[in-house]
Amino acid sequence: MSQEYRLLVLVALSLGVMFADSRFDYLDRVRYTVAYLSTPVYWVADIPARASSWIDDVFVSQRDLIEENAQLRQELLFAQRELQLLAGLASENSRLRELQEASQAVQGRVMTAEIINVSNDPGSRRVLINRGAHNGVFEGQAILDAHGLMGQVVEVLPFTSWVLLITDSRHGTPVQVNRNGERAIARGSRGDAPGLELEYVPDTADIVVGDLLVSSGLGQRYPKDYPVAEVTSVYHDPGQPFALIRARPLAQMDRTRHVMLVVPDDEIIGAGVEVLPGFPLPAADPETETLTGTGVPPATDLPAAETDATQPDDTDTPPDAQGDL
Amino acid sequence: MGPRANGLWIIVLTLLLAYLLAIVPFPDWAMHYRPQWVAMVLIYWIMALPYRVGIGAAWFAGFFMDILEGSLLGLNALSFALIAYITLSLHQRLRMFSALQQSGMILALVGLHMTITYWIKVATEQTDAGSLLFLLGALSSAFVWPWLFLVLRQLRRGFNVR
Repeated sequence: MSQEYRLLVLVALSLGVMFADSRFDYLDRVRYTVAYLSTPVYWVADIPARASSWIDDVFVSQRDLIEENAQLRQELLFAQRELQLLAGLASENSRLRELQEASQAVQGRVMTAEIINVSNDPGSRRVLINRGAHNGVFEGQAILDAHGLMGQVVEVLPFTSWVLLITDSRHGTPVQVNRNGERAIARGSRGDAPGLELEYVPDTADIVVGDLLVSSGLGQRYPKDYPVAEVTSVYHDPGQPFALIRARPLAQMDRTRHVMLVVPDDEIIGAGVEVLPGFPLPAADPETETLTGTGVPPATDLPAAETDATQPDDTDTPPDAQGDL
Repeated sequence: MGPRANGLWIIVLTLLLAYLLAIVPFPDWAMHYRPQWVAMVLIYWIMALPYRVGIGAAWFAGFFMDILEGSLLGLNALSFALIAYITLSLHQRLRMFSALQQSGMILALVGLHMTITYWIKVATEQTDAGSLLFLLGALSSAFVWPWLFLVLRQLRRGFNVR
């Protein structure tokens, strides 16, 4: 008889804990503290991956190294040439912005990190990185790899953090077409193949296959103008109010191990960005804080089937914020 | 009740190994086939030492799993407590079962655990509501159970865990 009571008490306790965890943040403290115990488990689970990369580093022939070195030199040369062009473009750009009296684009610094685990739930796309609160990671921080935008931090633990990838179906990324500035929300697609879908794009929008999608900076979560995805298919269904557009993320979600965390530079934000009256900076914005909890813009929080009827422009920030980080 | 405690660190160690196996990265195509190691190790210890490992221990094991996975707190705790209760009330019959029958029970118990966690995750929008593919994990668990059972029984006897 006592077993039944015990079960009843524990079931009630679990339900209470689940309710408290989903609605309030009392339990974040518990989660954070117990994470000191769970981090070693991840550290051990990562040993095979680290061992194999160590073996790759140690047991490599001199000829391979020389070849790789030559290849890297060549890549560096190309990169430096493009950088030179970029310097010219940047100064030209800032002159044009001055002419227009527009706000300056913000460039943050980056901190490197490594992906040490992947969520074991096939229905969600999250990864664990080896940087946490002790390294200054904060919720909502943007993650990039060498090729494009990857996702954002949704949960900060002492030495690790969970990152929600942009291909998760509960994540919406504000993007714009690089060619013409057409704006849209890219949501992760459901199902096994990682990809993105553009939501609520009217049939008349000028988006074609091969277009590069860059982050628009709306939502104030991701830095502006980072490459996000490439459009792979555009389908106009006469029976549907919106076009069906799919895109392939440029970041190498399932291959890369090395990623970068964007560290926003407060000084640059304070000095360079035009702050509109009544529109606080990202760090101080209470609305951004609440967004952090769920990791998706509130308007895209509903299941896709239900949001079909909502208006196409569901970005949550006023259009004035376009130039900011 | 029960004999004096001995070799409890074996229980903790096997659970830690199960946690490790639960989070070791799998390639995308194999994700659905991951056996539920923690649930199986718990079921074994409840079945073998019902006076030592019970519903409370299962609840705490589930709570740690929640923190490890970064899922909603209390999710695995709830479902582990439930399957612990079922195992506890069936443990004498489970011990008499043949390997095949035991595997059948594992299929049912792990299937129940996965269904409960899946429902709650879908209800709280932590995972995509999709196909019943997630139940493949129960199938693979039932498949590895006979070997896991042999290994754990050997450990229990060798270290005289009580």
